[in-house]
Amino acid sequence: MKPQNLMNPTSSSSLKSRFTTRFLRALSRINARKQFTSTSSPREIFQRYRRIKVAADKSMAYSVRSKRRWSRVMLSKLRSRSSSNSFSSVRLRRVKKSSATKTGHEKEAKIKSGGDQEEADELRELVPGGEAMDLCNLLDETAHYIKCLNTQVQVMRKIVDFYSP
Amino acid sequence: MASGDNDDVGFKHRHESLINCPSSRMNTNPLSDKVDGMAMSSISMYTKPSNASDPFFASGWDPIISLSQGESLGGSSMVSHGEFANSHYPLLMENQGISGASHFSQYQSDPSFVELVPKLQGFGSGNLSEMVNSFGLPQCSQIANSRFPPNYALNAEGGNERGSTNSTQSRDDNQISEEGGLVTSPNGKRRKRVPESSSPLGSYQNVDEEPQKDPSGESSDVPKEQDEKKQKTEQNTGANSRGKQVAKQAKDTPQTGEAAKENYIHVRARRGQATNSHSLAERVRREKISERMRLLQELVPGCNKITGKAVMLDEIINYVQSLQQQVEFLSMKLATVNPELNIDLERLLSKDILHSRGGSAAILGFGPGINTSHPFSPGIFPGTMPGIPSTNPQFPPMPQTALDNEFQNLFQMGFDSSSAMDSLGPS
Repeated sequence: MKPQNLMNPTSSSSLKSRFTTRFLRALSRINARKQFTSTSSPREIFQRYRRIKVAADKSMAYSVRSKRRWSRVMLSKLRSRSSSNSFSSVRLRRVKKSSATKTGHEKEAKIKSGGDQEEADELRELVPGGEAMDLCNLLDETAHYIKCLNTQVQVMRKIVDFYSP
Repeated sequence: MASGDNDDVGFKHRHESLINCPSSRMNTNPLSDKVDGMAMSSISMYTKPSNASDPFFASGWDPIISLSQGESLGGSSMVSHGEFANSHYPLLMENQGISGASHFSQYQSDPSFVELVPKLQGFGSGNLSEMVNSFGLPQCSQIANSRFPPNYALNAEGGNERGSTNSTQSRDDNQISEEGGLVTSPNGKRRKRVPESSSPLGSYQNVDEEPQKDPSGESSDVPKEQDEKKQKTEQNTGANSRGKQVAKQAKDTPQTGEAAKENYIHVRARRGQATNSHSLAERVRREKISERMRLLQELVPGCNKITGKAVMLDEIINYVQSLQQQVEFLSMKLATVNPELNIDLERLLSKDILHSRGGSAAILGFGPGINTSHPFSPGIFPGTMPGIPSTNPQFPPMPQTALDNEFQNLFQMGFDSSSAMDSLGPS
């Protein structure tokens, strides 16, 4: 049995299969684009890396079928991202980074206000869509998100192992 | 007191119905009759109200039952009611074929029992059922007065304890307890519990009939009394996790003639805890959160010994971060090592991933020579990953096993290239 968590074994196996098929298809699509150049420059590698990561996230979110808030948020994020080209997405990342530093300062200021809350906020940042959830739901989403991340990591690792003897 | 009279009448009627029907089915289960009908709850009250500990009940029942079964049932006229104070009393009841009356047997060792005897003698010898009825009322009230302990527990714990005492009674006990659970939630409402040690006694005393001198006449009918009982029992029981379950059980079992149940989440206040509605809601919320934290503890490896929300949250955060990083690592690696992926390979690969645990070796025969585009040769870079922000020392073992030197180098390159890409991006 796949080493999924104990929460829902049946759904995890199908989640894994769904993710696997989707992800492999996306991978093949990405690799199909690449085949013209024999060796890849770091830039291309980086681009592929980005695409593959996006594909992985997308496949995972699609496999969850928007049953969960984090998957819905992730899908919307990805869609809005893909609609804009990579240039603006890079810029978005930059903007996000600057805002992140600001919130970092804010977070330091908040440290006095109860240690639990800031960790919850940190978790909220990690889990997509977690900003608007109370702790109870946040923990739910986190559990499911962890499960899906595990699946993702396992499948991708197996693919990598497959290709690198 | 008028209310007391009303109680008397009300109870009498119910008790009548109970007592009269069992004549058709006499058995050694004294409580089985009482289980019928809505007066069951009141009966349960009476059957249960032994001492605070159940030994009385056990002791009360066992000798009685054996007694009734063992001894010959002679002399069963009403005259023998003079012997009610002794062990013949249950015999009398059984002889008369009124098993319902055998519940009196439990009161045998009741010192107040003797009081009731003269009352009994007042009735004619002809109609035992009548006698039983009228006897039952004072009997029960007497019992209620004398034996109701502050720690009365109607819910399942009491029932279970009783059930263990005697196999013959176990069925009834369970029934009783179940019905007692019914009693405890005629309404599914959340109740504010005001701890009153005196009121428990009072709540049972409202069923007292004439002979009783008990002061409180809280509710005038059995359902209301049951509500009170429920309140008091809720106050008095120490273990309350069961309370929720009992309430749920009670909801499942059908009640006859009880107040309409509402779909509230039934919450019990624990003993000694604040019963403010706010704090109750808080407690429910906290319990939910702790339950979810426990689930998360199972998910996150190595968190079994961790107690405390803050540390646990830290661990969870670290774990999620490390998982996300792993996904990035692996996608980076895939970007370099995986230029070709045919349909066949895809199919094989998916099968391999889904169905086998470790062995991709079987399919490696199909996938050789694909690593041609690997830009980094092993051994060029030392196997260090200085640029990689590993937030948690526990988790690197996982990626470490998957990542060989190549990958580390790869990531390093990728990391540098990513930063390079950032600068290159806009241009």
